[in-house]
Amino acid sequence: MAIQVCTERGGNLSEPILETKSLSKAFGGLVALDKVDLAIEAGKITAIIGPNGAGKTTLFNVITGIYPASDGEVLFQGTPLKDTPPHKRAALGIARTFQNVLLFGNMTVLENIMTGQHPRSRYGFIGAALRLPKAHREEETISLNAMKYLNMVGLGTHAEQNALSLPLGQQKLLAIARALATEPQLLLLDEPGAGLNKLEKQELSDLIRRIRENRISVILVEHDMPLVMGLAEWVIVLDSGQKIAEGTAAQIQKDQRVIAAYLGEEVE
Amino acid sequence: MLARLKGKWTYFVIAALLLFLILIPFNWSLGQYTVLMIFIGLFTMVTVGLCLLLGYTGQVSLGQATFYGTGAYISAVLSKICGVNPWLAMLIAAVATGAFAYVIGYPIFRLRGNYLAVATLALGVIVYILLRQLGPGGPDGMAGIPYLSIGGFVFDTSFKRYFLVWFFCLAVLLISQNIVRSRTGRALRAIHGSEAAAESIGINVDQFKVKIFVLSAVYASLAGSLLAHQMSHISPGSFSPLVSIIIVVMAVIGGLASVWGAIFGAATVSILKYELLLGFGEWDIVIYGLILMLVMIFMPEGLFVRLRELYGRWRFRYAQRGAET
Ligand SMILES: Nc1ncnc2c1ncn2[C@@H]1O[C@H](COP(=O)(O)OP(=O)(O)OP(=O)(O)O)[C@@H](O)[C@H]1O
Ligand SMILES: [Mg+2]
Repeated sequence: MAIQVCTERGGNLSEPILETKSLSKAFGGLVALDKVDLAIEAGKITAIIGPNGAGKTTLFNVITGIYPASDGEVLFQGTPLKDTPPHKRAALGIARTFQNVLLFGNMTVLENIMTGQHPRSRYGFIGAALRLPKAHREEETISLNAMKYLNMVGLGTHAEQNALSLPLGQQKLLAIARALATEPQLLLLDEPGAGLNKLEKQELSDLIRRIRENRISVILVEHDMPLVMGLAEWVIVLDSGQKIAEGTAAQIQKDQRVIAAYLGEEVE
Repeated sequence: MLARLKGKWTYFVIAALLLFLILIPFNWSLGQYTVLMIFIGLFTMVTVGLCLLLGYTGQVSLGQATFYGTGAYISAVLSKICGVNPWLAMLIAAVATGAFAYVIGYPIFRLRGNYLAVATLALGVIVYILLRQLGPGGPDGMAGIPYLSIGGFVFDTSFKRYFLVWFFCLAVLLISQNIVRSRTGRALRAIHGSEAAAESIGINVDQFKVKIFVLSAVYASLAGSLLAHQMSHISPGSFSPLVSIIIVVMAVIGGLASVWGAIFGAATVSILKYELLLGFGEWDIVIYGLILMLVMIFMPEGLFVRLRELYGRWRFRYAQRGAET
């Protein structure tokens, strides 16, 4: 029994953690995603790159359920997610960060992470209102876990500060900690490196490696090529909503279509 | 260590408040204000609900008097016309009002911001007109509503009812404080902070909005029932859209994101309404509007929170000076 659970959790090596099949998303006449087929391997760091407006963020929004797909489907661990609302996808094990960070500015750093424990705790209004013993017990677990993620991203000394009082680099780390606190199996990072200096990028890259070591699959959307090429075990390239190439970092760097897509952007 | 001391401070403040509240009806010079204190208690209950909804969750409601009204009317009709025990009537009113809030909650919270404000305002207008047109007694309302009683002890004087109302009021405040400092409280604040981020970490945003709306409606309903059973007379005027606006003013003065500030907000506006501005007649609403504007412009975090902050700064400076000498 235990062994079975273990193999299920660890995932069959050949079975992808996330798949999209002919996934499309249109905003009115604008096709942001055009029949995208993806298979994301479990336990790996996969990068998704592409010029501005390629549809990377839209892909994340459709995977997490913020936008419904216009066509096609998303499968998480083999299960179609069509009618699963965003909050349930988080409970299933899909976590994300946002390009524009979106921390809870009305909370401290630690509270932001504690809030991330929401899907891994249960007690509700009644337990809270009457301070039932189970509420007390769960709160203790929540605090302990939150401290763990706080230290994991190296913000241990900033616990009681307001989240928005942190500099951007640390805000981005906090957003990752909040996502990790949901205890995901798949973590979607939307441009975590944007706006960071060299040292911060180094810290970020170390953190992402540690996340992978914890057997969490990572999809990384990022413009910083050295960062991507240093981390990604598989690279997928989107352009104008279409998947134009995929392969290892070395293969992608030599791909003519990819080079053309990026050159095209510079000319524009 | 410091946190512990801080926790004890809160209990000390609460104990002092309790003592003050208990002494008011006994003290001869303050005795005349017992009825005023009853109203402050009732309005505090309604205001706390709005603080949770507006201050913590960021969802505006300009129709909280609606639930105050349905609570009062259901209690009154059941106990006077149907002969139901007033306590049971109060319970049924709370459940029915909560159910009503639940049913309208889902469609209404599809709306955001200004649209939500207008929809809740419209709700208040509709229920107010229904009470005037179809409620027993029409615009004049109902009289002869039975008092609440425990065994043979009837709450038939202001002095007795004062304790009854504040018992409920403090219970509501305590429950609200517990909710605010919990997993649920964090979820509510997360929704205020960013709905997209809240959903991304597994918070069922729509459901939490509706649940906190229901809780605020139940608070208001309980206050309404207490009003009905203690005034023995109610009329639609006590639950008009104007009252909803006054409740917003109370919440804003109290500092939206502060549970205990609700007492301060309710007290400030009640003292203005029932004591200081009596000579103004219906013009008093102009004053509330002005206060609302001034508070929103100069201290958007609320008068109560601002005063607390100033006090904190003063103490800090005082301590510093103490350290220097
Ligand atoms: N909510 C929306 N409504 C209308 N159009 C949208 C919406 N969201 C995205 N788009 C459009 O879809 C296209 C893809 O946008 P998307 O944000 O996914 O790009 P991206 O690859 O993340 O770009 P960047 O690297 O600049 O973040 C763009 O043309 C964008 O204008
Ligand atoms: Mg983007």
